[in-house]
Amino acid sequence: MEVVPISIAAIAALLSVVATYLAVRSRDMLAAVVFSAVQSTAYALIYYVLMAPDIVLVYIPVSVGILPAVAVLLIKKTERYES
Amino acid sequence: MNLREAVIAVSIALMIALLAYTIGAGGLGPIAPSRLRDLAVSYLINTYNPWNITKSALSLEAVTAIVWDYRGLDTFFETSVLFVSIVGVALVFRGYREKLGLGGKGLSEIVKTSTKVLTPLILIAGISIAIHGHLTPGGGFQGGSFIAVLLVLMSVVFSLDFVIGSGLTSSKLLMLRSIGLVGVLSTSVALVVLGIALGTHAYIFQNLAREGSPLSMPTWLLDRPTGGTLIFFNLFEALAVAAGLSLAFLVLSLRESEVEEALGESEWYE
Repeated sequence: MEVVPISIAAIAALLSVVATYLAVRSRDMLAAVVFSAVQSTAYALIYYVLMAPDIVLVYIPVSVGILPAVAVLLIKKTERYES
Repeated sequence: MNLREAVIAVSIALMIALLAYTIGAGGLGPIAPSRLRDLAVSYLINTYNPWNITKSALSLEAVTAIVWDYRGLDTFFETSVLFVSIVGVALVFRGYREKLGLGGKGLSEIVKTSTKVLTPLILIAGISIAIHGHLTPGGGFQGGSFIAVLLVLMSVVFSLDFVIGSGLTSSKLLMLRSIGLVGVLSTSVALVVLGIALGTHAYIFQNLAREGSPLSMPTWLLDRPTGGTLIFFNLFEALAVAAGLSLAFLVLSLRESEVEEALGESEWYE
């Protein structure tokens, strides 16, 4: 494997860990949704580097488009801040 | 930052470093094996093989060929999970009717204008991913979820009133989803029906001629390969997924007064 793609995957993996930690720790649910979308973007990059373009094409719309939208709807109907 | 957070951060970093070292040293097997396994070799040879059509799918993309031809029945049940859950959503909210004029003006004029430019592009990209599923990476589910993002985007930018007012109601989406599902089903049994009519043998989910069943789907449109059933599966699957996910989003975004009306109308509230 080439050096460049594997280092892109490594950077994306580190970013996803940071985003996951922030999403879990965040008291503001709306911010947590945004952090989880960032984590999904990093994962999509990893999938692309690992030569799975089919997964990327379904992962981006579902995890960045539809899942945050449904989560935001859920937050709107319940509470925004975790007490 | 207290001690607890520091310990968590250090342990996560340590875990990543150890995992990276293990994978880099080949502890979980070689990263990119230089030798292909026999199964992979047989799929690569047979996916597009016009000289031996009884084992081929005549699709230039191996993933779609495996997903909808070699393992078509698996994929059918896999996508049924999604369709059954959409049926569940539609059943739970069955007294639900959209109402217009519940407020919501959408975002600013700049965002609206740029979204108007973007909307047809997303639609075309989704359709293109779906109908080129047997040529390039992508397929029905991918294209369908691309198109489903459209309704989410439009309801955020232009408001839900605009979406419902433009005719995308939940009953229409349910009808589109059903058309897609009927299309998938009829594509999968098309050759069986033809076989019964012609008095020959054919299988469910059969794509091209196999041993003992000479029937085959049309494989060329002008000068382009269509992969037999694959283009139909991708097209109908995209329709069903796009309409199903949009329907789920639309039904889940129901407003307070719509809920009251739905509860008042139907009998299960008693």
